[in-house]
Amino acid sequence: MTEIANVTVRFGGVVALNDVSASFTQPVSGIIGPNGAGKTTLMNVLSGFVRVTSGSVSQDGTDFLRLAPHRRARWGLRRSFQREEIAGDLTVFDNVLVQADNAPGGDRAAEVSEMLAHVGLADRADKMGRDLNSFERRLTDIAKCMVGTPRLIMFDEPGGGLSVDETKQLGALILSIRDKTGAQVLVIDHDVELIRAICSETLVLDFGRRIAFGPTADVLADPKVKAAYLGTEEVTP
Amino acid sequence: MTRLLRVTPSGAAGLAFAAFAFLAIPLLAGKLWLSVFTSTACFAMACSGVAFMYARLGMVSLTQVGLMGVGGWVMLRLNHAYALPFEINLIVAGLVTMVFGWLLALPALRLRGLYLALVTLMAAGGLEIIFATFQFPNGGEGFWGVKTGSAGAFRRPALAQSAEAYFRYTVALVTAGFLLIEFHRRLKPGRAWALIRRSEAAAMSAGVNVTLYKTWAFGIAGLLAGVSGAMLAGSLGLLDDATFRASESIMLFALAVVGGARYWLGVVIAATLYRILPALLNNWGVDADLSFVIFGAGLLHAVITAPDGIAGQLGDLLRRVVRRPSKDTPEDRPKDAPA
Repeated sequence: MTEIANVTVRFGGVVALNDVSASFTQPVSGIIGPNGAGKTTLMNVLSGFVRVTSGSVSQDGTDFLRLAPHRRARWGLRRSFQREEIAGDLTVFDNVLVQADNAPGGDRAAEVSEMLAHVGLADRADKMGRDLNSFERRLTDIAKCMVGTPRLIMFDEPGGGLSVDETKQLGALILSIRDKTGAQVLVIDHDVELIRAICSETLVLDFGRRIAFGPTADVLADPKVKAAYLGTEEVTP
Repeated sequence: MTRLLRVTPSGAAGLAFAAFAFLAIPLLAGKLWLSVFTSTACFAMACSGVAFMYARLGMVSLTQVGLMGVGGWVMLRLNHAYALPFEINLIVAGLVTMVFGWLLALPALRLRGLYLALVTLMAAGGLEIIFATFQFPNGGEGFWGVKTGSAGAFRRPALAQSAEAYFRYTVALVTAGFLLIEFHRRLKPGRAWALIRRSEAAAMSAGVNVTLYKTWAFGIAGLLAGVSGAMLAGSLGLLDDATFRASESIMLFALAVVGGARYWLGVVIAATLYRILPALLNNWGVDADLSFVIFGAGLLHAVITAPDGIAGQLGDLLRRVVRRPSKDTPEDRPKDAPA
């Protein structure tokens, strides 16, 4: 269970997150909200790139805020970025192996091969990162997140720039992660249909505040959520 | 293990070049030119450190020649103070300089780009002042070991007493230095460095200890600088502070960019331009300062048309000849490399 309790983040006079709390218990959970809502800031808090002004973040009793970013990764935290961070001068295999290099485990090469096969990149293992298309880069990112006994995997807008078919394939892959690795998954995305299809529970942020949290179907039907996404009608005489 | 020992075409060419230098140059070069070639080999080793930091991590270090001075100072001090074998002195000089590299890394770890370059340049300036003030040991008494008059004798390695043998000894060490970098590139540190260069945040998210691996890189560059400085001391028998000015570190870095920091050939070209070109100009009766004009033109050429340097251009030319298009993309280069 991922527990976010009363997290506030300020950047000078700007309040990026304002007393946000949520307990993610489902295998795949979502975080949505309009641009500037604080979604990526929350992911950066979990990753250790942004310090909280107050509040706490923990997973299964481990206090994340006490760990440096690379130690969180060794603990089992994984994340992808909005832009796939694949080294162009490493092969696909080595791009995934970097993650396994820094995680506890046995036969790293075998695990990397297994995860590349799982995401459908077995025949691309020797390709250089610079030679991949954007979907292959995204798949490499997913394989990277799945190696080295992950416990919590966070995807930041994984569906960005993908076609409808690719997004469907991506959704199926994300749903398979729990069974394959045992890790819990958090997905940030603007694509409400993707969130509806794969997330059992969803947190909605707007202007750094939590405006809804609960089962995805209920959350997406919430008038406050609709207003945050679509705005409210302004009637002028 | 297979991956580690796999010889690429570029690697095979490098080994062939090293073998040619090892076997042929001592037979072809006279005593004066052999000294120039030995010095060139020493600077090639130092240049490989600064080129590796730039090409693999995108970090600009402008202290490399100053660090060579540290290695040279330790080598001379040990040589005149104790009767230890050359190899022991060489190892100690390399290790002491590696520690210097680590110390230099401490303030530099949080810096990048221009600020990192400025901090390392300040360190080079500090070393320049120390060398100019206290000079290099020449067999005198006390900690600094400096005396007036003729310098004490320098003991070369038992294996390499003659100038020819010492050149071969240097070539073997330079080759070992290049291989050290290449093995690192193929192993866990190389993968970590590639990701750090791509994005430090992504590297941290992959569990890479960015501080450790940056420090490691500074240590390797320091080790190579220290060994090359010690070898230079062994070649000349004494050192002059003018060799290790801060401006020389800037020059060596600039020439690494001109030559092509990503390639062994680029490093060889840089060292050749740095040491052999001025000697050639002197030999032809032309003012050696003309080399600065040529370096400037080379740098402009690299900045405007050849971001991978002369070696990169030669590689592209070779690929065109064998009809294999280059697959390099701008993202494979250090982020502050010229477009």
